[in-house]
Amino acid sequence: MALLEVTDLRTHFFTREGVVHAVDGVSFAVERGKTLGIVGESGCGKSVLALSIMGLIPRPPAKIVSGSVVFDGSDLVRLREKELEDLRGREIAMIFQDPMTSLNPTLTIGTQITETIRRHYDVSKQDARKKAIELMEEVQIPRAAERLDDYPHRFSGGMRQRVMIAIALSCDPKLLIADEPTTALDVTVQAAVLDLLDDLRHQHDMAMIIITHDMGVVAEAADDILVMYAGQVVEQAQVLELFDHPEHPYTEALLSALPQIEGEGIRSGRLTAIPGRPPDLIHPPEACRFASRCPYANANDTCATVMPELREVRPGHQVRSAHPASERAGSVVGSEVPA
Amino acid sequence: MSSNGSSDALLQVRDLHKHFPIRSGILIERTVDVFRAVDGVSFDIEEGETLGLVGESGSGKSTTGYCIMQLLKPTSGSIRFMDTELTELGREDMRRMRREVQIVFQDPYASLDPRMTVGDIVAEPLVVHSIGTRRDRRSRVRELLDVVGFNPGFTNRYPHEFSGGQRQRIGIARALALSPKLIVCDEPVSALDVSIQAQILNLLKDLQRDFSLTYLFIAHDLAVVRSMSDRIAVMNRGKLVEIGPAEEVYTHPQDEYTQALLTAVPIPDPRAMKERKAARRKLRHALAEG
Amino acid sequence: MAINPPEATRAPLVEGERTLQSGAAGAPLRQSNLWMDAWRRYVRNKAAVFAGSVFILLVLYCVLWPIFSPYDPYAVDFAQKSQSPSFAHPFGTDQFGRDLFTRAALGGRVSMLIGFGATLAILLIGVAYGSISGFVGGRLDNAMMRVLDTLYGLPYLPFAIIILAIFGDASLWTLMVALSVASWFTSARIVRGQIITLKENDYIRAAKAVGARWFRVLGRHLLPNTLGVLIIAIFLELPGVILGEAFLSFIGLGISPPEASWGQMANDGRTVYRTSPHIIAVPSILIATLILCANFIADGLRDALDPRTRET
Repeated sequence: MALLEVTDLRTHFFTREGVVHAVDGVSFAVERGKTLGIVGESGCGKSVLALSIMGLIPRPPAKIVSGSVVFDGSDLVRLREKELEDLRGREIAMIFQDPMTSLNPTLTIGTQITETIRRHYDVSKQDARKKAIELMEEVQIPRAAERLDDYPHRFSGGMRQRVMIAIALSCDPKLLIADEPTTALDVTVQAAVLDLLDDLRHQHDMAMIIITHDMGVVAEAADDILVMYAGQVVEQAQVLELFDHPEHPYTEALLSALPQIEGEGIRSGRLTAIPGRPPDLIHPPEACRFASRCPYANANDTCATVMPELREVRPGHQVRSAHPASERAGSVVGSEVPA
Repeated sequence: MSSNGSSDALLQVRDLHKHFPIRSGILIERTVDVFRAVDGVSFDIEEGETLGLVGESGSGKSTTGYCIMQLLKPTSGSIRFMDTELTELGREDMRRMRREVQIVFQDPYASLDPRMTVGDIVAEPLVVHSIGTRRDRRSRVRELLDVVGFNPGFTNRYPHEFSGGQRQRIGIARALALSPKLIVCDEPVSALDVSIQAQILNLLKDLQRDFSLTYLFIAHDLAVVRSMSDRIAVMNRGKLVEIGPAEEVYTHPQDEYTQALLTAVPIPDPRAMKERKAARRKLRHALAEG
Repeated sequence: MAINPPEATRAPLVEGERTLQSGAAGAPLRQSNLWMDAWRRYVRNKAAVFAGSVFILLVLYCVLWPIFSPYDPYAVDFAQKSQSPSFAHPFGTDQFGRDLFTRAALGGRVSMLIGFGATLAILLIGVAYGSISGFVGGRLDNAMMRVLDTLYGLPYLPFAIIILAIFGDASLWTLMVALSVASWFTSARIVRGQIITLKENDYIRAAKAVGARWFRVLGRHLLPNTLGVLIIAIFLELPGVILGEAFLSFIGLGISPPEASWGQMANDGRTVYRTSPHIIAVPSILIATLILCANFIADGLRDALDPRTRET
C-alpha cells in the first residue's frame, strides 16, 4: 500500500470575487522511500496542494471541499485539528521556500529544533539539545554545538535551509514535503541542499514530495513526476519517461521554453514561448484548461467542449489531453527526442 | 561621440570599485570596515552586442550595473560611455547622458510607481526631459507600448491591475522611451514564470535587433544568460573571474569558480543529472573517508 | 535537448507573444482602483463605519444646527436657567438660560476648527521636517533626528501655555499655533520612516535613472505614496489637539467669550456640576465622542490602507 494516497482532492478558496478552484481534482500516490516531484508554474495549485495535505490551508477563505488524503491508513481530511497536530512534524514534515522568513527571528536555532522534539516526545531539555546537535551535524552545519544558541540572522540562506531540514527531520518523519526548497538559494548552495536531502532520504528511508517550478531540480531529485496546470494534474510519469517522451502540449512547451546551456545557435535562436496566460481559476473553462494556449487545439476537437480525462497513453504514463504527443499525426510511437 | 570609424567600445569600465562602509558605534558611528561589493572590475561592451554578467547573490553584479547607471557613485575607477567619462560628469551633464543609457529592473512589482497610471509611467522619461507636447508624448507612449506587446488601450490603468509579465513589458517600454543606446537589464526575468520568461527574452532580442540596442544583461540564471549573450563575464565576490565569448566560457571555463558554477546548474536532463549526482556522492564519500 | 516545434505551431506562437495576449487581449487581471479597494476594506470594519458616520453627523450638527436653531445662543434668560434636558432643550440650558444644544453646536465649530487647524499645521510641519530628513538621509538625517529627540522632551501643554502667554491673547489662530508647535514630532517621525522605506523601491531608482531631479522624485513619487500614512496621522493627531484645547479652556486659557469651545463650556459648568451636572456633562461627552470616533476611524483607515494587503 502506498504511504500517501491522494484521491480527487479539491481545495477551493471562497473569496468576495468568487470561488477560486485552486486544487481541482488531484489524485496521486507516493510510495515509501520514493520521491515525487510536482512541477508547475505559479498559480497552478502546487503549494495549495502541499498545504492541503498538511491541513495547513487558511480555513476561512479556503476549504477542502472533497477528496481524501490517506496517509498510512488514515484519511487526514477527516482528522481533527488535534490529531493533525500530533501528526505534523512527527509523521509528515514540511520545509518551505524562503529560509529568511520561515524561521522565527526571535528564537535561537536550538529552541526551534528542541521545541519540535519536545512537542512529540517526552524527553528532558538536555536530551533534546543533544539530539538537536546531532541533527545539526547530520545536516552538515559546522560547529553545531557552538551554534546551537545562535539566532537565525547569523546564518546564511543555505545554512538556514539546513536548519529547516534539521527541524523537519527531528522526529524522523515518514514523509517530507519540500515546497520550493532551493528557489531562494544560490545555484551552488542549491546543489548541496539537494544532495543533503538525497542522502538523508536514503538514510532515514523517507518518502519525499518536492514541489518546484524548476525542471532541472526535478530531473535530479525525483523518481516520479506530476505536472500541474490550473489546479489539475495534466501529466504523470516516471522521471526518465517524462523527459524522454513528454506527452502533454504544456509539458512540451514548458521544456522548449527553457533556455539551454548547451547546444548550437543558442544565442540567435528564439525560445518557444507559450502565448497567453493561465486561465482564471474563479471561472475555469468547462473544457480543457490549456486549450486557449495549446498549439494543437482547434474548435472541432472534443477538448473544446469536454474536459479531457487523465488516461494512460504509454505504460505508466498518464496524460490529460486530447492531443498527447504519441497520438499526433506524423509522430512515430517510441521515437526518441533528440538529446 | 563614437562613430563607425572609431574602434572605441561603447562602454569601457576600468578598475571599478564600490565599497560600502560598515559602521558601528552607539553615540557616534564610526566606519570600522569596508564591504567590497565591486572590487576592481574591468570590461568593455561593443556597440550592438550583449554582454552577460553572471554571478550568484552577493557577487556584485547588480552593484556594477547601478554604478554604470550612476545610481550609485563608484568609490573609484573609470566608466567611459560614448567617449565620455561618466564619473566626472556634473549633475546636469549626467542628466543629459541618461538619455543614452537606461535600465530595466528585476522586480515588476516594485519598479513601477503604484500611484501612477501606465501611461504616466511610460511618459515620465519624456516629461522629465521636456520632449514633445502632451499629444506627442501620448502617441509616443502608445507606440512604445505596442512595440513591447502591451495593449496601448490600457494607459489609464494602474500597474497593480496587471500580471508580472505585463508589468515587465511596461518597464521595458519606459526604458525605450528616450531611445537609449545601452540598456542595463538587471535580472529582468528572474521574477517571472518560465513560460512568461521566454516571452520577455524573445521580446528583448527582437527589440535589440529592431532598435540597434546594446545590452548589459545581468542575471544569476546561467541558462538565461547563455541564451541572450554574445560574451559573458563571471563575477564572484566583487571580482571578475572570467570573461570571454559565451560559447567558450560555457564549454571551456578557465576559472575554478566558473567551473563549479556550471556543474551546479540543474539541467532538465534526468540522465545527466543523475550521473552528476552520483559523481558528487562519490566525491563526498571519498572526502568523508579520508 | 532542444526540441524544435513543428512548423504548424510556429506562426501562431510568434504572433501571440509579440502583439496582444490571447483571450482578454492583455486586459488587466482585476479592474480596480486603489481607492476603491481601500474603501471596500474600510467598509468591512463595522466599528470604523459607525464611528465614521457619527463623526460626520457631529460635524454636520455643528455646522448646520446654529443656522436653523430657534434659540439665540448669546441671549441671557434667567427664567430658563439650568434646566435639565427636555424636549424643548435636548441638552438643557446653562446657568445663563442659554440653550445648550445650540451652544454646543457653536462650541463644536470652534473646537473642531482649532482641532483641524492645528492638526493641519502639525502635518505640514511634520511632512516638511520628516521628508527632508528621510529624503536626504545620512548625516543631515542623523542630526535632524537628534534634534527631534531632544524636542520630544518638551512638555506639550506647558509649552502651549507659554506660547499663549507670549502672544498675549487667545484667539483661533494663536490657539492653533500654540497647540501645534510642540506636537508635530510624531508625524515627522512617521513621515520620515515612510520615506525611508519608500526610497528603497525600484521605482524611485527608475525615476532617478530617467533623470528626474530631486523635487520630482520627492513630490511626484515619494509624497503621493505617503498619502495613506498621512491620512491616518490626521485622525491620530486630532484627539490630542482637541483634548489640549479643552484643557487650556478648562484652566481659563481658552478662547475668549462670547466665543465658546467645548472646553470653555465645560469650564463654565465646573462650578455648578453638583446641582446641574448636564452643563459640564454635555461638552465632555461630545469631546469624548469625537475623540473615540477619531480613534476608530484611524484604526479602520490603517487596515484599509495597509500597503501589504494592497498588492496581489
